[in-house]
Amino acid sequence: MSGSINTASKRLDGAKLSTNAAIVAAIGLLLSALGLTMDPQRFSYAWLWAYLFFWSAALGGLFFVALQHLTGSIWSVVIRRVAESFAAQMWVVALFAVPILAFAWFGDSFHLFPWLDVHHVEGDEVLAGKQPYLNVVFLSLRIVVFMGVWVLASHFFVTRSLAQDAKGAGRNEGTKKMRSWAPAFMLFFGLSVTFTGFDLMMSLDPHWFSTIFGVYTFAGVFVTGLAVIILGVVFLRSRGVLDADVVRPDHLHSLGGLLFAFSCFWAYIAFSQYMLIWYGHLPEETSWYTDRFVGGWGTVSGALAIVRWVIPFFLLLSRKAKTSPRRLALVSVIAIFGQLLDLYWVIMPQLHTNGPVLSWPELGPLLAMGGILVWLLTRFFARHPAMAVGDPLLTQSVEYRL
Amino acid sequence: MNKPIVEAGTVGLVDDLSGTIPSKPKLGDKLLEGKQEKVGVVGLFDDPHALVKAAEKVRDAGWKQWDCHTPFPVHGLDAAMGLGWSKLPTIALSLGFTGAALALLMQYWMSAVSYPVHIGGKPLFSWPAFVPITFEMFVLFTAAGTVLTGLWMCKLGRWHSPLHDSGVMAEVSSSRFALVLSAKDELWSDGARSLLDEAGCTDVRDLFEDVDDGRIL
Repeated sequence: MSGSINTASKRLDGAKLSTNAAIVAAIGLLLSALGLTMDPQRFSYAWLWAYLFFWSAALGGLFFVALQHLTGSIWSVVIRRVAESFAAQMWVVALFAVPILAFAWFGDSFHLFPWLDVHHVEGDEVLAGKQPYLNVVFLSLRIVVFMGVWVLASHFFVTRSLAQDAKGAGRNEGTKKMRSWAPAFMLFFGLSVTFTGFDLMMSLDPHWFSTIFGVYTFAGVFVTGLAVIILGVVFLRSRGVLDADVVRPDHLHSLGGLLFAFSCFWAYIAFSQYMLIWYGHLPEETSWYTDRFVGGWGTVSGALAIVRWVIPFFLLLSRKAKTSPRRLALVSVIAIFGQLLDLYWVIMPQLHTNGPVLSWPELGPLLAMGGILVWLLTRFFARHPAMAVGDPLLTQSVEYRL
Repeated sequence: MNKPIVEAGTVGLVDDLSGTIPSKPKLGDKLLEGKQEKVGVVGLFDDPHALVKAAEKVRDAGWKQWDCHTPFPVHGLDAAMGLGWSKLPTIALSLGFTGAALALLMQYWMSAVSYPVHIGGKPLFSWPAFVPITFEMFVLFTAAGTVLTGLWMCKLGRWHSPLHDSGVMAEVSSSRFALVLSAKDELWSDGARSLLDEAGCTDVRDLFEDVDDGRIL
């Protein structure tokens, strides 16, 4: 058994992948710069869209890591490093958030947040009442504090786990420390995700409110985190970096089960939000949805339900499907596309009111951030083992069977 | 005065956990003098790994009519027994869709046919309002259907089994692991117990069942 763990500490040879990622990032940055000079408002929406997607992936990874320490899970030890690799990129995601602060402070040139527009707020009692919360100083403070704690937490969980690699198996001080801090982080996580959802998505339509929006944001974050973790595991497994005898169908089944469950969870929350607003029929609540049934947006709304729930539900329903790497990778790609579609559907109708618009200005930031993150992830797996080889629970995790 | 009220041996219904076969029920010795038929052999193991090894042997020998009984789920036993995929998930899913369809039909009939009431200017068949009930009925039919189908597939509903009468189940439900070869199998012969001996089982017992001779007790 220990022999197979040793082979699992192989490094990824991703020279070609990192070159390609760097090229994509360069193209993306070029398109972003062009987009910024041509139409700053459109660029700010596109940047927010891409930012929120990669934020979901990194924070989803961090949440997964903290969740495993909180529950003391054994099955996940063999794949936890993949989640840690995404959490480890939180500092770059923090850099990606800097332009969002700029959009807020230079609101007159970007017009991202309507509540920053003096003419918009003037004479509007509702928005005037929201000023104590929706103002540029408090928003910046929230972004900085949330981002700071997420970066610190990622650093804490990732460095402790990496330190265990060198110390060798059997030493459990790191695991003990991580377990004792995981619950505190979870409390902060719940609040910070909720308020980020309010700040960066809900406030784009500042009159509208939905108390379940925080849970909706969380559902998207966790599904995305799971999807990127599964894609990472399947990729590293196909490259032989993770041994197929160590990361077995049993482990894949647990990941697939979580992806299945939280796709359904998203549908449950999304429908709860929709149905209560539809039933209540109050104009200040329904306006958000009627905006999303205008023109081509109706098609996007319908596609969202199919892509985020119907397809993953049927593709992952059987036990066999949850253990198949190919099927899992397919559903993960669909789930990632679903999160992009979801964020697009939440953000863009505020700008393109007549129907969806998707062209190079929207894709620029997405390619830029995606390229940079893939490049960093390749470097991460070239430097560190793809498995937490020093975790005291690793042997038990390898032996995990359904 | 110190004489026990029931003399030992007259009533053998007490489960004996010490490992010996309790005597057959003797409620009225004369009435129970029926014939007995050998219905199989049972091998009792002390640890699950030995059971898994023996199960692999029996599987590879080509047996079909046999089973394992354990006090807790033994990981890897399904594969060792060569069990295929259970039909239960498919049945559960079909029951779930049946429940959902019935729920939708019921709500459509109630709200749009039998007692149509306009609420908030919404259409009579307002499907979003029907989703919660449809979902709950899906869950109810799946859950209840899975439990009942599972019990039926486990052959629950039999009044008794030779495994209970012989005391094997009493041991299995506390600490031991049993492998039962049924006489109904095509491979059954008097040498069946040697298969268990070869698998390293030190406690192999014959399994008897009363032959129904038409008498009531």
